[in-house]
Amino acid sequence: MSTANSTKLHVIYGDGSLGLQGTNFDYIFSYERGGLESLVQNGKEWLYRVPKPTFWRATTDNDRGNHFAERAAMWLGTDQFLPCVKVAIAVNGQPIPLPIAPENNRYSDHEFATTVTITYTYETLTVPKTLVTTAYQVAADGAIQITARITGQPDLPELPVFGVRFIMPTPATQYTYTGLSGETYPDRLAGGVPGTYTITGLPVTPYLTPQENGMHMRTQDVAITRTTVLNNADPRQDPFVLRLTALDHPFAFSCLPYTAEELENATHKEELPLPRRTVLTIAGAVRGVGGIDSWGADVTAPYHISGETDHQLSFRVESVESD
Amino acid sequence: MKPDIHWLDDPEVFRVNQLPAHSDHPFYGNYDELLHKKSRYIQSLDGEWAFNFAATPADRDREFYQPDFDAQQYDTIAVPGHIELNDYGQIQYINTLYPWEGKQFRRPAYSMGQDRPETGTFSDGEDNSVGMYRKTFTLNESLQNQRVIIQFLGVERAMYVWLNGHFIGYAEDSFTPSEFDLTPYLTSGENLLAVAVFKHSTASYLEDQDMFRFSGIFRSVNLIAKPELHLEDLTIRPIPDENLESGNLNLTLNLSAATAPLSGSVTVTVFDHAGHAWVHQTVEAHETVTFTDLPFDQIHLWDHHHPYLYQLQIQLLDAAGNLMEVIPYRFGFRRVEIKDHVLLLNNDRLVLNGVNRHEWNDQTGRAITLADMRADMQTFHDNHINAVRTCHYPDQIPWYDMCDDEGIYMMAETNLETHGTWQKMGAVEPSYNVPGSLPQWQAAVLDRAKSNYETFKNHTAILFWSLGNESYAGEDIQAMNTYYKTVDPDRLTHYEGVCRNRKYTATISDVESMMYAAPKDIANYLEKDPQKPFLNCEFMHDMGNSLGGLADYMNLIQAYPSYAGGFIWDFIDQALLVPDEITKQPVLRYGGDFDDRHSDYEFSGDGLLFADRTPKPAMQEVRYEYGQFD
Repeated sequence: MSTANSTKLHVIYGDGSLGLQGTNFDYIFSYERGGLESLVQNGKEWLYRVPKPTFWRATTDNDRGNHFAERAAMWLGTDQFLPCVKVAIAVNGQPIPLPIAPENNRYSDHEFATTVTITYTYETLTVPKTLVTTAYQVAADGAIQITARITGQPDLPELPVFGVRFIMPTPATQYTYTGLSGETYPDRLAGGVPGTYTITGLPVTPYLTPQENGMHMRTQDVAITRTTVLNNADPRQDPFVLRLTALDHPFAFSCLPYTAEELENATHKEELPLPRRTVLTIAGAVRGVGGIDSWGADVTAPYHISGETDHQLSFRVESVESD
Repeated sequence: MKPDIHWLDDPEVFRVNQLPAHSDHPFYGNYDELLHKKSRYIQSLDGEWAFNFAATPADRDREFYQPDFDAQQYDTIAVPGHIELNDYGQIQYINTLYPWEGKQFRRPAYSMGQDRPETGTFSDGEDNSVGMYRKTFTLNESLQNQRVIIQFLGVERAMYVWLNGHFIGYAEDSFTPSEFDLTPYLTSGENLLAVAVFKHSTASYLEDQDMFRFSGIFRSVNLIAKPELHLEDLTIRPIPDENLESGNLNLTLNLSAATAPLSGSVTVTVFDHAGHAWVHQTVEAHETVTFTDLPFDQIHLWDHHHPYLYQLQIQLLDAAGNLMEVIPYRFGFRRVEIKDHVLLLNNDRLVLNGVNRHEWNDQTGRAITLADMRADMQTFHDNHINAVRTCHYPDQIPWYDMCDDEGIYMMAETNLETHGTWQKMGAVEPSYNVPGSLPQWQAAVLDRAKSNYETFKNHTAILFWSLGNESYAGEDIQAMNTYYKTVDPDRLTHYEGVCRNRKYTATISDVESMMYAAPKDIANYLEKDPQKPFLNCEFMHDMGNSLGGLADYMNLIQAYPSYAGGFIWDFIDQALLVPDEITKQPVLRYGGDFDDRHSDYEFSGDGLLFADRTPKPAMQEVRYEYGQFD
């Protein structure tokens, strides 16, 4: 199989997926799974399951106290079960019909492009429903620009968070980001000191009951380092790194060993599973945590995320050359 | 006198044979002891005590205090410590409702009518466990042949004390010192001290603080000898003049002698940091010795940034000129007042960047150590915290010394909370509120105020006397306010609960205090010609991942001169480090984790620190925001 043309993407028009290859990268965009199924950089797989838009945060004590979790509960189901309803592909900027057999019979194993965009459309399980898209625009050098967008609808409840959640096969050994020090939220970030910070491991803030934690607001970029893979034929343990960089606006992120749902279900941290994955959430909108009290006072208005307006975030994903 | 089990039921019995509360001054036999802070007159009884536990009063060993009682089957327990953390009684955390919720029907004595004393409610209580403590001791040589008292620094919640089979006394009020005279019953050989500690009494109604509900001797126990001439009580009143550049010092000393008539001399000196002696006077000893308006023609003021303390030293000599006692005390000049509805310290507007602090250690509960206190003080410093509310009881004495030394403004709270008697499931329902205006409950709460005042009155750091927490308002709390204002013209009173019963607004609390008011509601109060400065006795409920919006409160500081800041709720999570039942690894547990019901579960996890004293991420926000007004 040829990947000799480093200025162009090698496109594999598969029967259940679209493969994109280039120097040191292999991507598989699944039609069945509704997202990017494989993101291999330098031979290392970065994805455990397809990334999906994310809407839920593990209920904080304040969320519980002011019943936000109840008002927003339909976002929990959507976060857990989000169905993909459409896949659209554009090659070199031109939309093409979904290239599954027999449509893809006209291609060969020597197909190249300068840019390919795969757009997944999801339909929320809310009442009313709305549409959410995640577009992956892949450049010839392998850089992926991801844009996620939710369309607001009248009467949709406020969102706990809006972003994209990546689940990586093994736990990160560290991550480095440029943003604010410490754990920050929109209504608790004045004390965050701008800088570049390296966090060892995947610390979970040990709140008495597991809940939303570890958010980092106003981030320019975050680089995740892992040393292990699940590939049985790859025993090496040298570090490898994936970097995500904000486009247009800084993003917020958390990098934890658990999903919001795993945190949600635990009443103590010792009930959480052994850390096995890396759960990276890149968020474009984060609800404040509040603090006036824990039995009813709402987060103040500027820190709500309306379900009635559109929200969007954009960032680039690329590998970092190992030293 | 014979002890009576029914004292547990009677709100009018709360101290029997207890010595009067007095100032917390240390005293030493000579200057070398002073230098090493080791007084020959003190003998610690901390350590292993013999112990037996009874689940109910009916099950207790009635003769356990007798020297000939066979206590061979008794266990040992560490003093200080909580009975429940030694696994005799069930650990329980509950917030506002009483710990017997759903298990015992109770009403406070006389709350349902003057003919309803509720006799038996605690003395027959099925939930009223009893700790029977026995300790044998021999007096150290340096305590022999003198007057000797016993001092319990903290016992929850009602105790009967015997020595060598003789009944000594009874005490309530878990968080202030309880002292009894042992002199008549001491022997030069081995003595047997016996203490029966009941988990519940009418004091339980007054101690409904939001915390783990423990019982036992949880602070230190000391034997204290009084030399021939002894300083019983000391009142220090340093008063800056109007110009704050000079001042006067007033001292009142109450002395006692082992043998009448009282004689000897009293020498008082006051040094500044430079070693200059501002005062050096010797007078004849009397039962009361006063020094009035000792002049300081220039003074260093005490505040958060410059906690300047003068060193007072008192020396007592007997008639033959032998040194009896040396008493050191540090004090500062400062003036706290309200002018034009603005809170002022030394004529500057005072903004409280405070926290509420429970005494807590994740392994020993409320039996905390000096190391815990020092760590907390360091955390204050690192994060621009300038004030502390001793929620909701008096703390251990060294904490007040540290606050004097470090310039931490204190709201010294009386040990009082009756939350469950007036608020149920969030609704104000005071039909059986105590103390309310019930005459039978007034003396008990006044005594709590008196113990708080008398013990801590000389601490410069204390700017406010707080009448208690969340106990509604009535004649009895009004009487507490009157008491504090009468005995102490130099400090302010604080009480939040009056906002639940506005009838007493004019007569309770010098400040308008609320808890968890939203910034816009505070602004609303401050816009409407406030008659008192406003402070948050509790705000920013830092439960779990919280503390969002602190800036909205800080913004009130510049907008409203009558806004005085407040105390974040709270400083440290209350949770207990115990072995996980599955992995055996140490894990932090909270209410409900001990099968304790009714419980308020994780509601005790509201600290800026986790229970192991590591800071929560929100601390950087406190450091930044408080730092803006430090």
